[in-house]
Amino acid sequence: MRYSYIKPRPKVVFTKDLQLLFIFFGVTIFMLFSTYAFLLFKDYRFTQELQSITEEKNQLRTNISKLNEQIAVVEKQSLMSEKIFTKNSVLKDSINNLFDLVPSRITLSEAKIMQDGLILYGITPNKDIYNFMLQAPLRSIFHRTYSSFYPAENGWLRFVSTNYIDEEELGSEN
Amino acid sequence: MIGKFLETLYTKVFINIIVENLQTVVYVEVCAKKNVVQSTHKVFETTTINTKMYEFVRSFFKETPFCYISVLDKSSNQGAIPTCLTSEMDKYCDINSSEYICFSDDWAFYTSEYDLEAIKHEYRSIGVDFIFSPFTIMATFFKDKIESTLAMFVLIEDSYISFSIFENSKLLYAEHLDMQRHEDDEDMLLDTTLEDEDDIEGIDLEDMSIDDDSTGFDDFTNIEDLDSNDDMEEFSEIEEIKESVEQDIDISSSGFNEDYQRFSLIQSALNTFYKDSKYDSKFVETIYIADGAGATPELKSYLEEEMFLNVYIRKIDLGTALCELAKAEVDEI
Repeated sequence: MRYSYIKPRPKVVFTKDLQLLFIFFGVTIFMLFSTYAFLLFKDYRFTQELQSITEEKNQLRTNISKLNEQIAVVEKQSLMSEKIFTKNSVLKDSINNLFDLVPSRITLSEAKIMQDGLILYGITPNKDIYNFMLQAPLRSIFHRTYSSFYPAENGWLRFVSTNYIDEEELGSEN
Repeated sequence: MIGKFLETLYTKVFINIIVENLQTVVYVEVCAKKNVVQSTHKVFETTTINTKMYEFVRSFFKETPFCYISVLDKSSNQGAIPTCLTSEMDKYCDINSSEYICFSDDWAFYTSEYDLEAIKHEYRSIGVDFIFSPFTIMATFFKDKIESTLAMFVLIEDSYISFSIFENSKLLYAEHLDMQRHEDDEDMLLDTTLEDEDDIEGIDLEDMSIDDDSTGFDDFTNIEDLDSNDDMEEFSEIEEIKESVEQDIDISSSGFNEDYQRFSLIQSALNTFYKDSKYDSKFVETIYIADGAGATPELKSYLEEEMFLNVYIRKIDLGTALCELAKAEVDEI
């Protein structure tokens, strides 16, 4: 029910003081939230960077391990090559020595070099030349030497010289 | 929504201005939600707004934007009428130049639009939110009695008096009077009647009877005794007592006169109610008085002895009553 002849003046809730207060608090809250958002964004970026760096690190680790494996393989291969080279040199020397052993009058047609033995095929003018000029040095090198002859078409003798080095005896000698 | 929420956070200040004969009473109530936090009364020796009053009122404006200023209407062109129909209102007042509000759809109170504008203009520096009629105060103050009885209800202010006669919430008669203006009118009326009486009746010396008893002079037989000093001292003491009594009478005579004036106004108002054909006159046995000016017990005795009325006087704090109305208005918004 109305009692008053006039209506009250409209009341302004947002007074100048209150407006100032709201602006101040609004700006402060905006700054706080913007700082918070900036920090959140930075944190997100940092997390992303951290993740990418971790992934990169893991990749590098796997690469390093792969490289290490490759290095090991290469090292092994190098060692092996060295061994092979040495072996080849030794073999070359052995072959040179072998061919040095063969006198000029005897002609070799085939030579089989084995791990613990040597088989020589060739033609000799006679048995004596073979026995004195070839078999004697072979006997000094190998432990067991077997020779077999059969006549060639021109009157010379074909021979097969089988020579073995016994590992047991070599060990005992060392 | 935000405005309503902020409104609950603010305190509400109700500033109630009551203009009396020589001073203005400002009653301020600070309310937080429904609780009264602070209430102050301050009296200013002015009937208009002065610097002190302005500063006092403005000091509350800093506290909250919800400051409601209420003023009690002192317009002499106000009253109440027993109808809410515009067609019937012309019978009681000039409705074209008046602002009226219906109360409970049974009766209406009105005031002059010019006086409302005058109040607004007077308090333009602080602004006015509510202007209340004394009849509204009366109707809310005696709500319990108005609803159930046939009686006269009177609101006594410092220099105004408002009458109303209700029968079970139905208004039968209402009037608002400025006592000072009415006093002047009465004086003028009294002077003219006395002169008329003198002219008409005069003094008939033939009708006068002369008593030859000289007993009146007996008191002066011992006049010689006055020469003694003792008697002179006694005489001077008696004079002093007489003077002091006369001073007391002078002090209380203003209250006495006002109460007598109020009594005569009530009497004339009742006569008007009984005699004027405009009103549906009924015999009034009871009178309820809301005393907002501090009437003396003589008023009650006058009314009881002269008019044989059952008189009930309730003290009313006009500031508080005005504040309650302002609160009710604010709750309505």
